[in-house]
Amino acid sequence: MNEFDDVVIDARDVVKTYDTGTVQVQALRGVSLQVRRGEMVAIMGPSGCGKTTLLNCFSGLDEFDSGTVLIAGQDIAHMPDDRKTEFRARDMGFVFQTYNLLPVLSAVENVELPLIVSGTRPKVARELALEALDRVGLRAWANQRPAQLSGGQRQRVTIARALVNHPSIVWADEPTGALDSKTANEIMDLIVELNAAERQTCVIVTHDPKVAARCHRTIHMADGVIVREDSRETMQTAAAASGAE
Amino acid sequence: MNELFGVSMTIIASVCVAVTALIFAAIGWIAWRNPVMFKMGLRNIPRRKAQTALIVVGLMLSTLIMSAAFGTGDTLTSSVSSEVYSILGEADEWISWDAQKNPAPQEEQVIPLATVDDWKQRLAGDPDIEAIVPLQRETLPVFNTRTRLNEPSARIVAFREADAAALGGLRDTSGAAVQLTGRSIAINEDLARQIDANVGDAVLLFYQGQPVEFTVVAITPSNVLSGAVDPFAMRGGTVAFDTFAQLTGRGDVADAVIVSNVGDAHGGLKRSDAVTERLEQLLEGTPYRVIPIKQQLVATAEFVGSAFTAIFVVFGLFSIAAGILLIFLIFVMLAAERKPEIGMARAVGAKRRQIVESFLAEGMGYDLGSAVVGLFAGMGVTVAMVQVIQYFGGDSLGLNLTVQFTPRSMVTAFCLGIIATFLVILVASWRASRTNITAAIRDLPETSPVDPEASTWRGYYRAAINGIAAFSLPIGASFFLFGPPGAVLGAPLIVIGLISPWFYLLRNSDVAAPRARRTGEPAPRWPWLLGVFLPVVGWLLILPWYAAALLLVRVVRDRKPEALPRWLAVGALAAWPLAFVAALLQTWRVRVPWTAATAIAFGIAGVALTYGGLDRDSAFFFLLGVSTIFLWAAVTLRYFGVSERLAFTATSAVLLALWYVPSQWLEPITGPLEGDIEMFFLSGVVMVTCGVFIVVYNADVVLPALASLGSRFGRIVPALKTAVAYPLTSRFRTGMTMAMIGLIMFSLVMMSTINTNFASLFLNDEAKGGFDVVGSVNENNPIDDLGAALAAAGVDTSPVEATGIARVANPQEVEVQNRDGFVNTDDGTVAPYSRVKVFGVDDGFLRAQDLKLKFRAAGYATDADVWAALASQPNLALVPADITSSQQGFGGSNLRLRLKPLADGFEPFTLDLRDPGTGEVTTVTVIGQLKESADTFFALGSPDFGTGLVITGQTLAQAFPAARGQMFFLKLRPGTDSEAFAKQVEGALVQASADSLDKLLSDQQRQQTGFLLVFQGFMGLGLIVGIAALAVIASRAVVERRQQIGMLRAIGYQRRMVALSFLMESGFIAIAGILVGLVLGLSLAWVLFTTGDFGDGTEQIDFTVPWLQIAVICGIAFGASMLMTVLPARSASRVPVAEALRYE
Repeated sequence: MNEFDDVVIDARDVVKTYDTGTVQVQALRGVSLQVRRGEMVAIMGPSGCGKTTLLNCFSGLDEFDSGTVLIAGQDIAHMPDDRKTEFRARDMGFVFQTYNLLPVLSAVENVELPLIVSGTRPKVARELALEALDRVGLRAWANQRPAQLSGGQRQRVTIARALVNHPSIVWADEPTGALDSKTANEIMDLIVELNAAERQTCVIVTHDPKVAARCHRTIHMADGVIVREDSRETMQTAAAASGAE
Repeated sequence: MNELFGVSMTIIASVCVAVTALIFAAIGWIAWRNPVMFKMGLRNIPRRKAQTALIVVGLMLSTLIMSAAFGTGDTLTSSVSSEVYSILGEADEWISWDAQKNPAPQEEQVIPLATVDDWKQRLAGDPDIEAIVPLQRETLPVFNTRTRLNEPSARIVAFREADAAALGGLRDTSGAAVQLTGRSIAINEDLARQIDANVGDAVLLFYQGQPVEFTVVAITPSNVLSGAVDPFAMRGGTVAFDTFAQLTGRGDVADAVIVSNVGDAHGGLKRSDAVTERLEQLLEGTPYRVIPIKQQLVATAEFVGSAFTAIFVVFGLFSIAAGILLIFLIFVMLAAERKPEIGMARAVGAKRRQIVESFLAEGMGYDLGSAVVGLFAGMGVTVAMVQVIQYFGGDSLGLNLTVQFTPRSMVTAFCLGIIATFLVILVASWRASRTNITAAIRDLPETSPVDPEASTWRGYYRAAINGIAAFSLPIGASFFLFGPPGAVLGAPLIVIGLISPWFYLLRNSDVAAPRARRTGEPAPRWPWLLGVFLPVVGWLLILPWYAAALLLVRVVRDRKPEALPRWLAVGALAAWPLAFVAALLQTWRVRVPWTAATAIAFGIAGVALTYGGLDRDSAFFFLLGVSTIFLWAAVTLRYFGVSERLAFTATSAVLLALWYVPSQWLEPITGPLEGDIEMFFLSGVVMVTCGVFIVVYNADVVLPALASLGSRFGRIVPALKTAVAYPLTSRFRTGMTMAMIGLIMFSLVMMSTINTNFASLFLNDEAKGGFDVVGSVNENNPIDDLGAALAAAGVDTSPVEATGIARVANPQEVEVQNRDGFVNTDDGTVAPYSRVKVFGVDDGFLRAQDLKLKFRAAGYATDADVWAALASQPNLALVPADITSSQQGFGGSNLRLRLKPLADGFEPFTLDLRDPGTGEVTTVTVIGQLKESADTFFALGSPDFGTGLVITGQTLAQAFPAARGQMFFLKLRPGTDSEAFAKQVEGALVQASADSLDKLLSDQQRQQTGFLLVFQGFMGLGLIVGIAALAVIASRAVVERRQQIGMLRAIGYQRRMVALSFLMESGFIAIAGILVGLVLGLSLAWVLFTTGDFGDGTEQIDFTVPWLQIAVICGIAFGASMLMTVLPARSASRVPVAEALRYE
């Protein structure tokens, strides 16, 4: 396996402009980024710098104006919506800051949704969902609804949902943003552990240097462009410094 | 239309306008006092245009129903009135022989012209009387020799030219005066159309079988001077008085005298009372009577209009009820949408009152818009309904319907719509204002503070005293149902009920706080303002009671004991006015379990209603009371910790079962209870509520069961998953929407099933009675031998297999013993004789007939035995099916004979038949009762669609020798075209009309279908509500679930899957609502028919379910529901994923 084959996300010159009718905001100004299989990459930067837009465009949740994004060699810019949706269902998992669980479904039902969407038989989907919940330590809470779970538990359910179909890429947008630092640490432990175990690629948008320090490398953005890239070690030093402050 | 439900429309309109003005004044007050909150409310209206449009459509329904009902009433009133004015012209009073008080042979019932001339002289100077015109009248066949068309029953009149001069004399259609001399005749437009006659045509008038030729000299408008009598007998003509007197041999007498008051056709009416009074004085001691005919007919027009409006309003109640649910649902959802905004407004200092005001401002914006739209939509619906009635009613309506809206009715409809919507918005706004600030800001579910006394008897006691105190007014009012003892019990409660709402308003205000906590904030001032500015209502119902409440609060606020004295605690439950004292002395700001309190109050009112229903023999009050008690039971069970699902499922199931119990099973306990059309509405509301409770509380079983059907299709499983989950968690919305759809479906299914089964009872093939053609013979030209007459006229009689002849004595020629002593006069007294039509059938009829009997007397094993006895023994009789009905039909007369209900194997009984002309009495023995279809058989052939007793022709000839009516019935050989043969007979017999029974029956069925269509269409309007509710819910869901939709799309839901999920969600609710209405409506109809609760004889029919109609109704309801969800579903599927994920 050569180095190129190992690149699972290959984005080049991606431009994205938001047009509100009165104002045009360039959220991404020609961003290029490669992420390898099994790699955990953090995207950092101030509010409004384009982190979430990058995640949305690269994962196929949003359209972009120009540039190319190849996921596992497939150009998602030119994929029809249905195929893109199928691709997401099969190969991607998502973790959001606000959990985005369906309040009307129980934890296990939330987790099994991506499997059911991909056509897995309901009985099998239920077993796999329970296994996923087991992995995040929530098997006992499988039948609780999101409202009956704590913030950390909800985020674990989200992670279980993101990983239940063994996707090749997990996209996480501020996965610890709504959590206290202890719970945030536990969640990051879980993500790192699962990443190590399953060799999934993780792209994590975060404000938190401690979260970034747990990733293999950190991309810094400002005003819609990548301005710097740091290694884990650099980030660990920065995190330690910010912790000391 | 001047009255509705017996209340003057002017009063209704005045009250409505006053209340509406008050509402607008209140809104104006809010806008002036609190412009910020007012604007905040108003600016929400254009925020979501599609949603606003849906809300307006949903809210307009009450106004639409009202304006359509009033418009139909106005149209009927004005159409019937204008027909009356057009026919009677300037004739206002009618003088004729009073046969009831002065029985005499028909030919003697005349007024000598000399007498009339004497009256004219005596009334010569009367300032109110313009003309007195004596008339001679006969119903004669008229035959046009040119066109060979005939009219067997033309009303021919004659009057002296000089008498009618004051009325302008007889004039043709162009207004030119008509001179009649010798053998000249002026025929009216209706007769001219029938026989296709022109001026100059020669026509034959037949009198006692002899033709007399006349020449048509003019065509005149159809009115009383040209023979028109009523909308069903318009064809007539006028001949010279002398000629007519000579033809009939009557000489100088009149059959009737018309009196015209001073003024035109409309203007004379207001003098009618005075003129009638003077004429009554004039006629005192004579055998004549005066009828203010125009006044009576105009009153009938008013009655018809009011009755139809009342029917449409009652049928519209389902839609109005559904509309009210929708309005409430819409505002609850708007409140949910604005929850964080409300929370923020409250957090920065907005008071609950201001939140209510803001919502009211917004609500009134929708209310005003929807009332205007509803008013015009209702007018459009009226036009459509009138067109359908006219189309299906055809000639049988006898009048031209011209759409008419009176400003008074339209203003009333508009105001009623505004008021109904405002009240619901007020309640919903109050509910929205009660939200917890933190929960609202964070958009969390509402939680209630824990009550340490919840589910305890102590807590329940608190609920009881507060329930009784707060709802004393309805409790007290319900006591009034059972007469003076109830009034004694109810009066003190009503007084308390007028004070207690104000007390509860003040209870949480600063003015009621104990000294230590008082800040000095003044008591609310708006009740004073309302009291002062509202004339009558304010002074009587607000000011004194608010003042009393204020006084009480001030007196007790610092004197409340630590604990209630024991005597008061116990006494409050025994002597209810003391409950108010106990409530007054409660600790400041004590928490009241209001749901339980309300249920207790309504439980007590329910007991009173139940008792009142039994006391008054009213099924409505009895079942309303019982249903209310069940509601109390459900809430109480829940209060004491029984699971909500069990409490509501069990009580609803038992209550539903009770509604299915046939009345005869309950009768030993309740005695006979009477119910009318209002039971239709009550049964619908209660049963659908029960059904919805059962379904909603068990939806976690019902919906997945429905969903499991779909799970066989793997591709829709993900959509199913979410489609089922959402309705399950939003019980309130799901239940409300199901109730709306269920209510309307219930009404439509019941209506359609009832109609189909009544049609099969009355309008089935049995109604042909074994014959194919029915004919009616002019009474002045009887046919002695029908076969010979037909043969003489050149008709090939070989297709005739059998012939039956019936002689007919009309009700005015018959007096029959009022055997069971029913009230049989218009003034409410019981006279010894009633009136009824009698058919005297011949042997041919008895042999050929195939009529069915409902009941046979003891000793007659089969129908054939009864008919054989009738043929072989003299003086036997059959009574019609409708003679034992408590309903005398629409506008039925009291004078008609009524009998107590019969049963199979009844003891034969006698009836005395008296000839009013001779006073001779013939006694007949009743040995059977005809079936409803046999009633229809006799009615179909009668010009007045009347049923009557059946005896033999011989008995009739003996009992009523002067009776001249004649009908004939022909049975044709198989394969003969009955319609063509009937036309042939009619063409051949100038003095007879003939019709195919097949055609008459299908005309009746067509008419019934038309009316059913109108009613169903009208009731179906309510479906708009249910469908709009689904659309509102779906649109709202798209907004609410935006982020969740984004997530679903992110994890792999295709667009179509999201859309499908929304569609299925609406589909489940629609199907559940449809099923609730369908199952309950069908099953109740089945029970009512099979147990005979719909009337005697209904238990004998083969219950038919109109599956096709029901399938169409269900299909429309479901299809429209889906159609309305397509747009929101589509917009949900197009939500941009990344944007949705960011949405909060």
